[in-house]
Amino acid sequence: MTERHRLRALLTLTYLNGVIPIRSQPLYLLNIVASPLSFLFFITIASRGALLNYGLAGGMLMTMLSIGTSLQTDISHYKQDLKLQDVVIASPVEAWVYVGGIALSELVYSLPAIGVFLALWVLGGWATIVGALTLAGVLVLVWAFASALGFTLATYFEDVRETFVFSPLISLGLSVLPPVYYPISSLPAAVRPLAYLSPTTYAADLLHTTVGIGGLSLEAAAIDWSVLLGFTLALLALAAFKARWREP
Amino acid sequence: MEAIRAEGLTKVYPRGGTIALSSVDLSIPSGRVFGLIGRNGAGKTTFVRIAATQLMPTSGTLYVLGHEVRHEVSSIRLRIAAVPQESRPLYFVTVDELVYLYLKMRGADSVEARRRTNDVLEELGLTAVRRKLVSRLSGGMRRRAMVAMVLASDAEVVFLDEPTTGLDPLARREVWAAIRRVERERRTVLLTTHYLDEAEALSNRIALLEGGVVRLEGTPAELRARVRRPFRVTVAGGMSREELESFGQVSIVDGGFLVFTTERDARELALKGLSSGAHISMAPVSLEDIFLQVVGHRLEEDAPLEEGTT
Repeated sequence: MTERHRLRALLTLTYLNGVIPIRSQPLYLLNIVASPLSFLFFITIASRGALLNYGLAGGMLMTMLSIGTSLQTDISHYKQDLKLQDVVIASPVEAWVYVGGIALSELVYSLPAIGVFLALWVLGGWATIVGALTLAGVLVLVWAFASALGFTLATYFEDVRETFVFSPLISLGLSVLPPVYYPISSLPAAVRPLAYLSPTTYAADLLHTTVGIGGLSLEAAAIDWSVLLGFTLALLALAAFKARWREP
Repeated sequence: MEAIRAEGLTKVYPRGGTIALSSVDLSIPSGRVFGLIGRNGAGKTTFVRIAATQLMPTSGTLYVLGHEVRHEVSSIRLRIAAVPQESRPLYFVTVDELVYLYLKMRGADSVEARRRTNDVLEELGLTAVRRKLVSRLSGGMRRRAMVAMVLASDAEVVFLDEPTTGLDPLARREVWAAIRRVERERRTVLLTTHYLDEAEALSNRIALLEGGVVRLEGTPAELRARVRRPFRVTVAGGMSREELESFGQVSIVDGGFLVFTTERDARELALKGLSSGAHISMAPVSLEDIFLQVVGHRLEEDAPLEEGTT
C-alpha cells in the first residue's frame, strides 16, 4: 500500500465511523461531551466559579480519555458482533491505519466538547500562543495514548460487555482519581506518590499552566513532557506489539 | 498454479486444547472455485481463517499466492478479501456506502470504486435497495450486501465462509452467478458451505473435512469415482430390505429404501426390481450421498469436538 492509499483508507474509516453515524443519529455528538461538561458544571457551581479553570483543564483531559473508551467499545463491537476486524485483516489495511481511522473518527464526536472548552478558555482570558501550543501538544498525546490503550484492551475482549467494566475503571483511574480536577496539593502527602503513577497527572500539570493555575519551572515542565511522552510511546508500543490483530 | 497450499497444517486452540486441524495437506489451484465442505466443527472455518491471515497456525505451513502465512502477511493481505462466517455489515450505512467505502478503504480511487459498486449491486440484485440503510434490510439482504462488498474488490483470492446462509433460492442463484463471474476473471474463490448442491454447482474441486482431517479431495467426478458405491437406487414396493441388502448399503427413506451400490449391481437391482413390480429410480450418488458414506453422518449433524472449533 502506498502512503496515498493509506491516507485514503484512514480518512475513509474516519468518515465511516465518525460522520455517517452522526447523520442518522445526531445525538451521538452528546456521547463524549456529557461527562466532562457535567463535571465542569458541578465543580463550577459547587465552587461558585472559583474552580472553573480546574473544571476546564479536567474536562479537556477527560474528553480525550473518553475517546479511548469510546474507541474501545467501537472496536470491540466491530470485532465481536460484526466481525469487521476479520474483514479488515483480510485486506490491505494495516492495523495502525484501522485504529488511526477509528481514533480520528472519535475526535469528530468530541468536537462539541472541544468547542465548548475552547470557547470558555478564550472567554476566560487564558488564551495565549504558548498556552495553545501546550494545550494542543498535551491533548494530542492523551488522545494517542488513550486510543492505544483502548485498542489494545478491545482486542482481548471476548464480549463487548467487558468494555462496560473497563471503561468506567479507566475513567476513574485516569481522570477522576488523579489530580486532574483538583490540585495535587489537596492530596494527603502519603498518597501523592501514587498520583505520579498516572500519566494524566503530568498532563494535568501542564494543562493547569494554560488556565492560569500556578506556574511550572522549565525543569518541571521538561519532566512532565518527558514522562507524558514516555507513557504515550510505551502505550503505542504496547498496542503495536501486544494488541491481538491476528488471533493466536 | 496453486493459489493456496497447506503442508501439515495443524491448529490446536490454546484455550481448551481442541485440535481443529490435524496435519492438513491441501493444494488449491488458482483461478477456480474450491469448495470446502464438512459438518459444524469439522475445521473449515479454522482453515479459512488461517489462510485469510486472521488466525495463527499451531504448526505446519500454509502458503497463499506463494507467501507464507506466518511471516509474509503484508504480501498476502494486499491480494485477498474475505466474508467471515457470521459477519454482519455495518448497520448505519446504506448498501451503496457499504460497498463503495469498503473499496475506498482497500485503496481504490473514487471513479474505480463507483464503477465497481454499481456493477456489483446490479449483479447481485441490490440496485433497488442501494439507498436503504443496512439496518432496514432483511437478514438475507444484509448477507448479500456483505458478499457484494468483497466480490466488488479486485482481490486475487476471495474467501467466502458460508456466504449464502439465510438467502432465499433466488438470491443464492444471484450470488452463484457473481461467484462464477469472479472465476471467469481468473480469480480464486475458497468457498465453505453447508449446501452441498452449492458446492457441487460452483466448485471445480472439493475437499471434505471431518475432525480436522481432509477425508476426500478432488473434482466432483473424482469424488464419485472414489466412493465404493457410486450409484444410488431408490426402491418403492416389491422388494424386502433383506433382498436389497445383498446389493449394497440400505437406508430407509420416505416411501421405500435407498440403496448405495456399484454400477453393475445397480443395473441388476433395477432389472430385478422392475420384474417384482417395484418402482425404481437410479442415479449416480450426489455429494450428500458421498458425505454420508464417507463420514457416516449427515452434514446437518454437528461434529463431536466443539469447543473453539469451527
